Amino acid sequence: MSVIQELSRSKQSVSPRKKGDGRWALLFLAPWFVGLVLITAGPMGASLYLSFTDYDLLSPPQWVGVENFTRMFADPRFRGSLGVTFMYVFVSVPLQLAAALGLALLLDRGMRGLALYRSVYYLPSLLGGSVAIAILWRQIFGADGLVNQVLAMFGVQGQGWVSHPDYALGTLMALNVWTFGAPMVIFLAGLRQIPQMYYEAASIDGASKFRQFRSVTLPLLTPIIFFNLVLQLIEAFQSFTRAFVVSGGNGGPSDSTLLYTLYLYLKGFGSLDMGYASAMAWFLLLIIGGMTAVNFLASKYWVFYDD
Amino acid sequence: MSNTGNGLRTRRGKRLAASAAGIAAVALTLAGCGGGDSGMGGSGGDEPAAAEECPCEIRFAWWGSDTRHESTEQIIEAFEAENPDITVVPDFTDWDGYWDKLATSVAAGDTPDVITQEERYISDYSTKNVLADLSQLDIDTSKVDDSVLAGGQIDGAQYGIPTGINAYAFVADPEIFADAGVELPDDTTWTWEDYVTTANAVSKGAGEGVWGTQDYGFNEAGLNVMARQRGETLFTPEGELGVSEQTVADFFQVSLDLMEGGGQPDAARTVEYQAAGPEGSLLGTNQGAMGVWWTNQLGALTDSSGHELELLRLPGETQGERTGMYYKPAMFYSVSADTEYPESSAKFVDFLLNSQEAADIMLTDRGLPANTEVREGILGDLSPTDQKMADFMADIEDEIVDTPPVPPHGSAELADIMERVNTDVLFERITPEEAATQFMEEVTAAIAG
Repeated sequence: MSVIQELSRSKQSVSPRKKGDGRWALLFLAPWFVGLVLITAGPMGASLYLSFTDYDLLSPPQWVGVENFTRMFADPRFRGSLGVTFMYVFVSVPLQLAAALGLALLLDRGMRGLALYRSVYYLPSLLGGSVAIAILWRQIFGADGLVNQVLAMFGVQGQGWVSHPDYALGTLMALNVWTFGAPMVIFLAGLRQIPQMYYEAASIDGASKFRQFRSVTLPLLTPIIFFNLVLQLIEAFQSFTRAFVVSGGNGGPSDSTLLYTLYLYLKGFGSLDMGYASAMAWFLLLIIGGMTAVNFLASKYWVFYDD
Repeated sequence: MSNTGNGLRTRRGKRLAASAAGIAAVALTLAGCGGGDSGMGGSGGDEPAAAEECPCEIRFAWWGSDTRHESTEQIIEAFEAENPDITVVPDFTDWDGYWDKLATSVAAGDTPDVITQEERYISDYSTKNVLADLSQLDIDTSKVDDSVLAGGQIDGAQYGIPTGINAYAFVADPEIFADAGVELPDDTTWTWEDYVTTANAVSKGAGEGVWGTQDYGFNEAGLNVMARQRGETLFTPEGELGVSEQTVADFFQVSLDLMEGGGQPDAARTVEYQAAGPEGSLLGTNQGAMGVWWTNQLGALTDSSGHELELLRLPGETQGERTGMYYKPAMFYSVSADTEYPESSAKFVDFLLNSQEAADIMLTDRGLPANTEVREGILGDLSPTDQKMADFMADIEDEIVDTPPVPPHGSAELADIMERVNTDVLFERITPEEAATQFMEEVTAAIAG
């Protein structure tokens, strides 16, 4: 709405020619604006309202105040899914970033065929969110899957990783770590930004490679690390497809892969408890907003801007 | 919601605002907000007009595989040939997407006229006034057994007419029994204890990588049969839980006994086979001698195993107070309470149910036809596997006492609860007794809510 107000207010104070430009601007903004209303703002507003209602999709929503939220905090499966999600996010995101940075450092050494390697390692990021990869993952970590076949060669009797409650979440984390390509490409770009002269100066001072990494690369890379961290945390909190496919749609075995969004979906479409699901969606927004805010506040203490 | 739209309209940029508001309204309906009001009573469906004006168009929603989609479209063509003024629009998807899509369409006020329903969901939809009482419409149900018809009745109203019937039964692979040197059990007398010992013996005899049976604890149908054998029932006609905690505990204990005796694979494998459907099951991959399935899955199991499989009664049918097996309505035909064309919709349901032509195309794809007359009519056309299924269904007919009542509102969550509780039992995170307590609590909460 404010966009329109802004634009219509500015119209009065500009010259006729500019006025025409304003019309054009509106025209070009229209697709974005329509998208915003249609796909984002409208449904979000509706879900905010629905989060205060009892709504089963089949009959009109009934206003129930904050009941959905109080029910949520008393629901053991909700708490369970929160636990699973935090575990998933806080274990897999740091590992994923470490893998991304490690490979970026390797690739940054200017080897031959860099473009090829970069594409190859980026590939999982493109595929990682897909249903096909999730199905493949199921196969690889199945009782007779690739992982166990390799283990068997070493005489180790493996087991059904995706179907065991102690290990199923681990396979999902592994899948998330494996999709390190996107942060890796950003790290690579970040590494290229670091002026070569710092390294020259450091090596003249007799700094070892490791010392150079710790005292030059890492501090100058912190803005990029920060950027990747924020992005990947937000993405990890919203992971859905993997858990849905790998668990066969129910977060099993024994709720061990019941990620937040999966439980939200099960509540909304499985139990037809759309009010509750909407409340969960808004609570997730709060969690992610909170996490991001904490991230930004904490960034003051460790992110170094070289300007 | 509509305030935003009106506020916009008074400002400048009128065209844009108007279209944005219009789109927003669509978006809100899509998102479900307020769709209930416009959908429920808005179309004047409460008082259907005496005579319908046709040509008219009705929409038929179903789920299923490609073969079902093809055969159903043939049936629609046959119906349209007989009723040139009625057009039937197909609206089909696979099972998983079906319920999401149906719930969303209902919320958007766009309920299909003729809806395929299933016993876990029909209570939810009928108590929300989405479904019409079919006894008020012109549909001939005289050729359907009363006990079968009762499977679609809630509070005296006929919300769904069974398409066909299935039974929950053991499927056995005689070749694996022979390999293991174990005789096929006599299914008219075998007990639950016999089941465990037979499965354990097969595992022992058949050697590495072949098991006696696949775990049965994920499906509540087995629990219902066991409960009925003891004079209990999973759900009472009043819509309450009617099974005792002891029975639930005993039900899960069988799985533990089987795992201990080697009759079924370890927990992690079991979970995996469970998720693999008929094709990836122990029977389907020739790794197991027995498994419990719905009779309509015999075809898929036979195809993937390549062996000739046999149907067996569940254990314990002569062990307890009474028999527990029953005919389950495979699915239901229902009509939207809101439809603009109740008569045409009824005519179409009547055709699906009673037309020999439709049955000849459909065969047993929606269960063994509920209409006993058309069932007779297709017997000659059945594949050997379907023939075996039909024979089995006929064999148990006299032993069946009654059809269980329609599961209550909220029972759609039952499958999910079963799967969680059973997994916890298999991994020995809880004892069968604790599982029973948890099951009772969770199901009670689900059907109360």
